[in-house]
Amino acid sequence: MENKKKSFYFEDYTESEITNNKFNIVKVSLNRVTFLSFIFFSLLLIFSVKIIYLSLSSEKSFYSNNIKKDFVKKRRDIVDRHGSVLATNVILYDVGVRPKLLKEKERKNLLIKLSLLFPELDLNKIRSKLDKKDFFSIGKRLTPKTKDQFWLMGNKAFVFDAKPSRIYPQKNLFSHILGQTDDANEGISGVEKFFDKNLNNKDKINLPLSLTLDSNLQYLIRKELVNAEADFHNIGSGAILMNVENGEILSLVSLPDYDLNQRVSISDNIYINKITLGVYELGSVFKTFTIAAGLENKVINSNTIFKNLKNSLTCDKYTINEHDKLPKNLSAEQILIRSSNIGAVRIAQKVGVEKYRDFLNSLELLDTINFDLEEIGAPLSFKWGKCKLATSSYGHGITTTPLQLARAYAILGNGGYKIKPSILKVKTKSLEKKEQIISDKTSNTINSMLRKVVSLDEGTANFADVKGYDVGGKTGTALKYNSKEKLNTFVALFPASKPKYVLLVMLDEPKPAPNFVYEFSRSEKFPNGYKHKGEIRNTSGWNTVVVAGKIIEKIGPILAINNLEASINF
Amino acid sequence: MINQEKWIASLSIKNTRFSNIKNQINHDRWTNTIPKKNTHNSVHKYSLIAILFVCGLLFVSVVKNETRILQKEINNLEASINVIKYNLDQTIIDNEVITSPENISLLAKEYLNINLASYKRSQIKQLNDETEKFTKINKTKKEKINKEKVKNLSVNIKLKFAKRIEEKKAEIRKLKALYSNPKLVPGEIKIQVANQIEEKKTELKNIYRSPKNVITLEKVGKWSAAQVVKAFLGMPIIPGR
Repeated sequence: MENKKKSFYFEDYTESEITNNKFNIVKVSLNRVTFLSFIFFSLLLIFSVKIIYLSLSSEKSFYSNNIKKDFVKKRRDIVDRHGSVLATNVILYDVGVRPKLLKEKERKNLLIKLSLLFPELDLNKIRSKLDKKDFFSIGKRLTPKTKDQFWLMGNKAFVFDAKPSRIYPQKNLFSHILGQTDDANEGISGVEKFFDKNLNNKDKINLPLSLTLDSNLQYLIRKELVNAEADFHNIGSGAILMNVENGEILSLVSLPDYDLNQRVSISDNIYINKITLGVYELGSVFKTFTIAAGLENKVINSNTIFKNLKNSLTCDKYTINEHDKLPKNLSAEQILIRSSNIGAVRIAQKVGVEKYRDFLNSLELLDTINFDLEEIGAPLSFKWGKCKLATSSYGHGITTTPLQLARAYAILGNGGYKIKPSILKVKTKSLEKKEQIISDKTSNTINSMLRKVVSLDEGTANFADVKGYDVGGKTGTALKYNSKEKLNTFVALFPASKPKYVLLVMLDEPKPAPNFVYEFSRSEKFPNGYKHKGEIRNTSGWNTVVVAGKIIEKIGPILAINNLEASINF
Repeated sequence: MINQEKWIASLSIKNTRFSNIKNQINHDRWTNTIPKKNTHNSVHKYSLIAILFVCGLLFVSVVKNETRILQKEINNLEASINVIKYNLDQTIIDNEVITSPENISLLAKEYLNINLASYKRSQIKQLNDETEKFTKINKTKKEKINKEKVKNLSVNIKLKFAKRIEEKKAEIRKLKALYSNPKLVPGEIKIQVANQIEEKKTELKNIYRSPKNVITLEKVGKWSAAQVVKAFLGMPIIPGR
């Protein structure tokens, strides 16, 4: 007990009395403290409520009252290979009217103001809507300038709704490639649809999606195709320019096209992407594959002579004719240069159905292509037979898309290496080894043959012989299915000595152009060249080749191919 | 029943001896241990807490206000950045439209002469040769012209000097003839000299009559400046002394 007790004290009477008195005083002061505490607690409560209110209040209430603050990118931009903007986002405005907020006089004033500022508006419709409806839209996707015009009218009945929208500064130029977005800003066609996820990727929202396309080349090619419509009165046309080494597409044009900024529902088939979605019989351009199949299978060489070639041939219900009077004996090379149908049939027969089919399959001409767009056509399937082999050898009764045709020519031109056409620019190409499906020898032989089709007088594509660019190519004239109208195609590889680019030009339903002045370049016979007018033939050589020649002349300097004439003379 | 003896015996007996000194209470020691009762303690306590609380409250309020202002500023800046971004985007779009191939070709049609002629290398070579020849011919022509100019210049100058010399010689001849016979000096010159003498005399007379009118501030200033210059150059200030 003693150990635990630490201290004690004695309290006498007088001391306790004093403390009791003091305790009474403390009691009084304690009441005051309680009162003060109550006040402070009340204050605390008020401040706490205020703090909680401030904490919970939305940040937006502190923003400056500027509608542009809402500008946040919802979708990535699309740019061409040089960084030119092809598709971007802007804020456009929908303007609506609430008639209930207007008095009779105000309604009349509004109609007068609208008629003065926007004469294109239908005032009768607006008047009836003002009487009947609670709310109606007066303008959609308006620019900030037009919206400001409405706003400056100072009418309380106007309701403005800012919406992020997609615009395309190049208008028609890339309409078939870029596609469009819907009101919810989601892709509904073209690149906008195919790369929808990629374009909506919020992590990369400030990085544009780069395409392999070139705006300048696209413009020049489109311009020539538009000019061709005036010269040859074709209802549509298409062109594609591809790098043969990596499959990068530099230009893809399909006419008629449309302004992507104008929202109009297009249902007419004429507006389809003719290069990727259109599936056609492309005619004599297939003869190149027939010769290549013969060379690859070693059943012919370029000098193999085919004797006694008839002018016509019959197989079941099919009658195969020559387009022109040709010599009876032709070498394999001459068959391609002069575009002999019967000669092509004879080569195909030498190759055989299976080998010929396998060869076309290796070039992936008959399957649906894997490409960067939704709008892809599927070649029509058919049963192989002797007659099918015969017609296929010169490009009839066999269908494919122009895109696949261009790819197949690119493979023939690049040494036989498989490529995948692409419009998406990839910074670093994978170092994977390309699969070689055609030998170098066959590729080189075909390239030199194609050059002769353009350069020799008996060739069918002389108008594409643009000096210095060493152009090679093959023409194709085909009748459209169930129609007497033509579909003319020309595929060019240049420079033919070591092709870098393949250019396909296609005219849909061209007409003879007797008023068109054809300019023949200088030759031994005509050292100053000569002009020709009044031509009534409507084959590829007389229209598509002319257009392709003009295109190459224009795009050649941009592509920076060594102009051989210049390099030799310098 | 508890055996008391047993338990009492178990108690430890350390100091059985009674010591007065040891058991005496040390008052000083124990009074210090008494806790000092502070009757105002609770009031102080409460008021301190209340003050602290109010201070805290005010501090929180100030901090919150400052945060609000900062937040507002940040939001305003963000909004202005957005506006700038928006304007930049608009400008980029404008630029794209203006520099689009379509627009450029339209402008080119309107303002450029695009009828350009193409030349082959051989033609360019010929042109170069011709220009070289042309420049050589030009050079020689220029040199010839320069030489001729120089020649012409010297002849002209010589002619001019010869003329002047002749004129001067004629003047000297006239003067010599005049001074050789002073009687022949014309009367007009004599009259002019006599007039000048008269003028100087009247000036001197005026100075002596009213020097105040003659000696102006300007004249004094000029005179003093002349004297300063003279003194600086070491010349005698008053001539003759």
